[in-house]
Amino acid sequence: MSAVLRLLLHRLGISLIVLIGVSMLIFSIARIIPGDPARIALGPNATVEQITKLRGEMNLDAPLPVQYGFFLADISRGDLGTSLYTNRPVTQDIAQFLPATLELVFLAGAIMVAVGLPLGILAARYRGRWPDHFVRVLALLTVSAPGFVWAVILMLLFAFYLPLFPIAGRLSDIYEIERTTGFLTIDTLLAGNFAAFKDAVHHLILPAVALSLSGIGQAARLTRANMVETYDKPYIEMAQAYGFHPSRIARSYAFKPSLIPSLTIIGLDFAVMLGNAFLVEAVFAWPGLSRYGVAVILRKDLNAIMGTVLVIAVTFLIVNIIVDLLIAFLNPRIRYSTRGTS
Amino acid sequence: MSILDIKNLNLAFKTLTGQVDVLHGIDLNIAAGEKVALVGESGSGKSVTARVVLGLLQETRSARINGSVVFDGQDINAMPARKRAALRGTKMSMIFQDPTSSLNPMFTVGNQFTEVLRRRDHKLSKMASHDRATKLLEEVAIPDPARVLGSYAFQLSGGMNQRVMIAMALANRPKLLLADEPGTALDVSVQAQTVSLMRDLVEENGTSVLFISHNLGVVREFADRVYVIYRGRIVEDGPTAALFANPLHAYTRALMSAVPRITGAGLPEVPEVSDDFLAARVSHTEAS
Ligand SMILES: Nc1ncnc2c1ncn2[C@@H]1O[C@H](COP(=O)(O)OP(=O)(O)OP(=O)(O)O)[C@@H](O)[C@H]1O
Ligand SMILES: [Mg+2]
Repeated sequence: MSAVLRLLLHRLGISLIVLIGVSMLIFSIARIIPGDPARIALGPNATVEQITKLRGEMNLDAPLPVQYGFFLADISRGDLGTSLYTNRPVTQDIAQFLPATLELVFLAGAIMVAVGLPLGILAARYRGRWPDHFVRVLALLTVSAPGFVWAVILMLLFAFYLPLFPIAGRLSDIYEIERTTGFLTIDTLLAGNFAAFKDAVHHLILPAVALSLSGIGQAARLTRANMVETYDKPYIEMAQAYGFHPSRIARSYAFKPSLIPSLTIIGLDFAVMLGNAFLVEAVFAWPGLSRYGVAVILRKDLNAIMGTVLVIAVTFLIVNIIVDLLIAFLNPRIRYSTRGTS
Repeated sequence: MSILDIKNLNLAFKTLTGQVDVLHGIDLNIAAGEKVALVGESGSGKSVTARVVLGLLQETRSARINGSVVFDGQDINAMPARKRAALRGTKMSMIFQDPTSSLNPMFTVGNQFTEVLRRRDHKLSKMASHDRATKLLEEVAIPDPARVLGSYAFQLSGGMNQRVMIAMALANRPKLLLADEPGTALDVSVQAQTVSLMRDLVEENGTSVLFISHNLGVVREFADRVYVIYRGRIVEDGPTAALFANPLHAYTRALMSAVPRITGAGLPEVPEVSDDFLAARVSHTEAS
């Protein structure tokens, strides 16, 4: 396993560098946007003295590198500062809003993998025949519109005209659930309230499906393409020559080697979902990080903006590390790369 | 009694630019326990013949197959796909050109061995399969079967993988072994070693072999009988000794005069295409 460990350390190192880059970027961008954060925070009736005082407290008058130094020191203490918008620590805000977004993105990612990969396998297995054409048209259709467009379409179809699903929110008002993890599907179960759990899942389905659709198309197309390539490999002909069942050859012999190149992109798709979630959340009035993100951007709430972007960057990096480890774990060539050959 | 009897086999592929005729009435016969070679230049139709016998091309939609391919008393072309698949890996098996890329990179040798053994014995346990595979690997002179079974193809040498392929192909004691240029991807001495190992094993088991090769030197060592194929037609056939001693067809002669230029695994270069190459088929009788 030392090869995997080495890989992990390498990726962590790279992630750290990326994080520093991201922090510099958002720090600079936040300072370049016109408008005085202190003035905005204090409102139009603030006196010059008040503004000057707040600017001093916020270190806004110090040179930029010094401000960045303060910023880094705070971050490393887990302190993202106070939000001017909510008047609470940014970490607390994020802890409140992030789980709703993650819950949505996780489910969407799971749907993408659970539906996209089998569709890709099916298309490759019946290449050139109707299941293949069907999947390709479907993939093209889903990829052709971004998540929020699907959100609007699905909402109109299945919440408005055909009221099968709730139109907005995470949970019906009748339920009162104690907050433990912030993931409602988990908290409702912890509370032993099964009806509320079902209600939470019910609320999740439409936004999650909307968010996952273009990912499904991507994953299906990618899986198909990689598998079609794999089908030309001698080991597939060998499997056929041994009379293994075509479905088995598809699912096992052809799919597994094809999954490795697909995984990186699927990981990226997952991360992209985090971005798309902002608009899907807006459509479904989903109380996630997006609302907070949009609100703090409009208010030029520097600490909160930086905190939000940072959290998204970290999530992105974590997903990438997980994908890399998964690849290393699945690919024997990496797993055994330290061993010699015979 | 013959184990394989191909009569008037015709094969064409439908392509975007029209139909391509590949085999024009192949007749070929292999007796039980006989080792038969099929030799000819690149593109002459050797591999497709083997793939028809295996029943793989019947599954290819662009292929048009005519004629009879009677294996062990049953016409492969006339049976349903299911029955054809049931024969593969049990009553007939195949060895490919490049052993290392013919093994799946995601599974250990042991894993793949289990799958192969389960073709005949569906309920074979992991333990029993491991034991059986160990014995089979010992048969092909692999010194430490346990390590090989736990390895992936990319961790083993080409020669080692070739031995694994031979052991796998013979694992279910097939009646017919199809070997399509086995080990051409390996270096010459390793190829020669594994071919002679394969010969010993098939002789021991009484397995019939269709041995496809470019390499006339190896064919001469291995086969009881030889068929020479040129552009989808058998042009000459006969017992190995007779055919090599007295090649009658113009194409066979050209092929043989090219032999000195063959370097190990290389292709015989037949310099010119001559009209005589299209002359009628010649068959040596046992006496000649
Ligand atoms: N699926 C296919 N579609 C169209 N043409 C094909 C197909 N498979 C094989 N052919 C053609 O059939 C002919 C015979 O091919 P085959 O692979 O049997 O040659 P070969 O004798 O094995 O040659 P080599 O020594 O290079 O392996 C070639 O001209 C090839 O292009
Ligand atoms: Mg060939």
